[in-house]
Amino acid sequence: MRPSLDPRHWPVTLKVPLAVAALMVLVGVVLSERVLSRLDDTQERHLRELTQSYLDGLSSAVAPSILRDDIWEVFDAIERAQQLNKSLRPVEAIVANADNRVIVASDPRAHPVGAMVSSSIVAATGRETFRFDSGADRAHARRDLAYPGRKVGTIYASFDTRHLAIERQDVLTALILTNGVLTFLLATAGWLLVARMMRPIRILSDHLGSARETDVAPIAPDIVATSRGEFGRLFQSYNTLVQSTAERQELSKRLAEEERLGSLGRLASALAHEINNPLGGLFNALATVKSHGHIETVRVGSLGLLERGLIGIRDVVRTTLALYRTDDSRRNLLAADIDDLGLLVAPEARRRGINVTIVNSLDNSIPLPSTPIRQAVLNLLLNAVAASPEGSTVALSAAVADRRLLMEVRDRGPGLPGDAAALLTGAADARPLNGGGGLGLWMTHRLLVDLGATIYVDHPEEAGTCVHVTVPFACDEELAHVA
Amino acid sequence: MSRKSVFGLDRRVFVTGLASFFASLAVFSRQSQAKSSEIRFGLTPVFLTSDLELLGRLQTYLGRTTSVPVNLITRRTYQEIVALLISRQIDAAWICGYPYVMHETELQMVAVPRWRGRPLYQSYLIVDADRRAENLADLKGDVHAFSDPDSNSGFLVTRAALAEAHARPETFFERTFFTYGHRNVIRAVASGLATSGSVDGYVYEVVAELEPELTARTRIVRRSEWLGFPPIAAPRVAVDNQNLARLSAALLNMSEDMEGRAILAMLRLDGFAREEADLFDTIAAKAATVALQG
Repeated sequence: MRPSLDPRHWPVTLKVPLAVAALMVLVGVVLSERVLSRLDDTQERHLRELTQSYLDGLSSAVAPSILRDDIWEVFDAIERAQQLNKSLRPVEAIVANADNRVIVASDPRAHPVGAMVSSSIVAATGRETFRFDSGADRAHARRDLAYPGRKVGTIYASFDTRHLAIERQDVLTALILTNGVLTFLLATAGWLLVARMMRPIRILSDHLGSARETDVAPIAPDIVATSRGEFGRLFQSYNTLVQSTAERQELSKRLAEEERLGSLGRLASALAHEINNPLGGLFNALATVKSHGHIETVRVGSLGLLERGLIGIRDVVRTTLALYRTDDSRRNLLAADIDDLGLLVAPEARRRGINVTIVNSLDNSIPLPSTPIRQAVLNLLLNAVAASPEGSTVALSAAVADRRLLMEVRDRGPGLPGDAAALLTGAADARPLNGGGGLGLWMTHRLLVDLGATIYVDHPEEAGTCVHVTVPFACDEELAHVA
Repeated sequence: MSRKSVFGLDRRVFVTGLASFFASLAVFSRQSQAKSSEIRFGLTPVFLTSDLELLGRLQTYLGRTTSVPVNLITRRTYQEIVALLISRQIDAAWICGYPYVMHETELQMVAVPRWRGRPLYQSYLIVDADRRAENLADLKGDVHAFSDPDSNSGFLVTRAALAEAHARPETFFERTFFTYGHRNVIRAVASGLATSGSVDGYVYEVVAELEPELTARTRIVRRSEWLGFPPIAAPRVAVDNQNLARLSAALLNMSEDMEGRAILAMLRLDGFAREEADLFDTIAAKAATVALQG
């Protein structure tokens, strides 16, 4: 099966693992989001608690010193707080007065005594007193110092949170790896499972696929025997179907053979009729010669009659021989073959009082097998003769155009019925058995279709039927196959 | 007024007085005996009082050699220790030369440490290691860290130098503050909190040896002349003469004792010795200069 970009055309063995993978990815994304969100909450809560404890300690240590303007004590308190709270990883602490000027910072070089606290630090926490963005390198906290009831200053502190970001990254990596491995394992399991479940379907599909190309073959009995459940029943039903199809094909073959024998019988009957008709006259002539042979005129006349009768019989025998000879079935179609058809149909036409005209514009050998074409066209002519009213004309024309053989059989009958025309053109899978008749038309169709011909039934306005047959010239291989 | 009557009267008075004197003497003696059960020795941040191991060993050594339990009294400022000393609430204290000369009439010298063979040390003016400054004048407008207002090396030396230049710390410097510890002055300058500082040269050298990464961030701009090393002083009227004598002996003989030598090694000192009072004349002169400026 050729791969396609349209997912609707993908095999189920691919679709199911992909669907499993897609669902797992979705589940993984949702779970990861929940885990990370929970981790963020935990990290923030933990950090917030530590920060509050740090600020509580620092603010109680520095507040009296701020009032005394003892910058060393404030600085010392900050340094001690930084040392005591190492687990919190304080990066920077600034103690500012009520006017937001630096009293002391943990890094006095960056924030000299008396300088204004930079607006970026003031804005770092926003309106809140604590800010931590998950995955960020820093957390910020702010604490107003009131002593007692009067705002005397503010502590701005920031903390290194890179270890939290790394922890978060580690968790994310672990989640992606775990989900990735799980997704891969489940997709593989899904693929194996579906491949196993789809095996009976593939067996059936392979058999049906091969049935289109060759004869329908039943599923091997050992496979049927090992399959259980619905697939076992399906295989059995399929094999029953194959058997009945084979039986129908066999029946069709037998019917066709019978029809062939039937035509042979009709032909033999027509042949006997052709020979029998003049035979009565010939015996009369013989009797006349026996009794009145001494009379010159009677004798000459009777012998002439005998000769004409025998010539007629010879022509009939010769034509029949030429038509049904099997040794040259692969011979190419000749112009004479079309003319012979006139001779073959002539006795029946004469019996029914029908005039047969042949317009034969073929001039040399046509690369088409002669036997099936002559049989088919003969059938068409006999049908036309049978359908035509007495005294009317049946016309056959044959021509070559554009490497195709074009033939046309036209009669003045009541017109070919629709279902009969369908049998002839092969439309709607018409079968000859339905009405018990029309086998001749069906056989004609089979003969012509085997040659790759197209058949078209026309009903001209002036009544009657016109059957157009177009046979493309075939190459030798196909000819051999058809033969 | 007859002599007898006077005497008689006086005698009653005298006897009563004498009785009360002996009574009080007995009481005083009991008090004194009660006090003699402990030697209270005051310490100021003239050395690294932050070293608890050193304090522990010093206490043990003094207790062992004096055969009296020794209580080491530490306070945040020199002033508190000096006040305890003058009010005779402690037996002796390691104070600075500046409070010694200021309260010379109320104090007696017990011993003076010898550092690098002499009972002398210097005061350093220190700045940030990367700063270009050559003398005190270059430090104008600084945030200056002093050690203690009663410290010679950590305040008086710089204060006197400014007075000689007719300047005052509060106007010469942008801002000053006291850290109440020489090591804290070094920390303040090293961290950038202060742009310059006045520090005890002896403490600075010891810190340079113990914590070189701390002093590496500072640079000495100016060294003062050699001055009398912070002495160990006692109230002029000793709280307990016997205890003071024992304490004095323990200090003076420290270099003879193994444990004492270990403590001296930690202090980077050679030992303790008796010195003449004129050792602190230079400090007294500086104090006078400052007092003159008002």
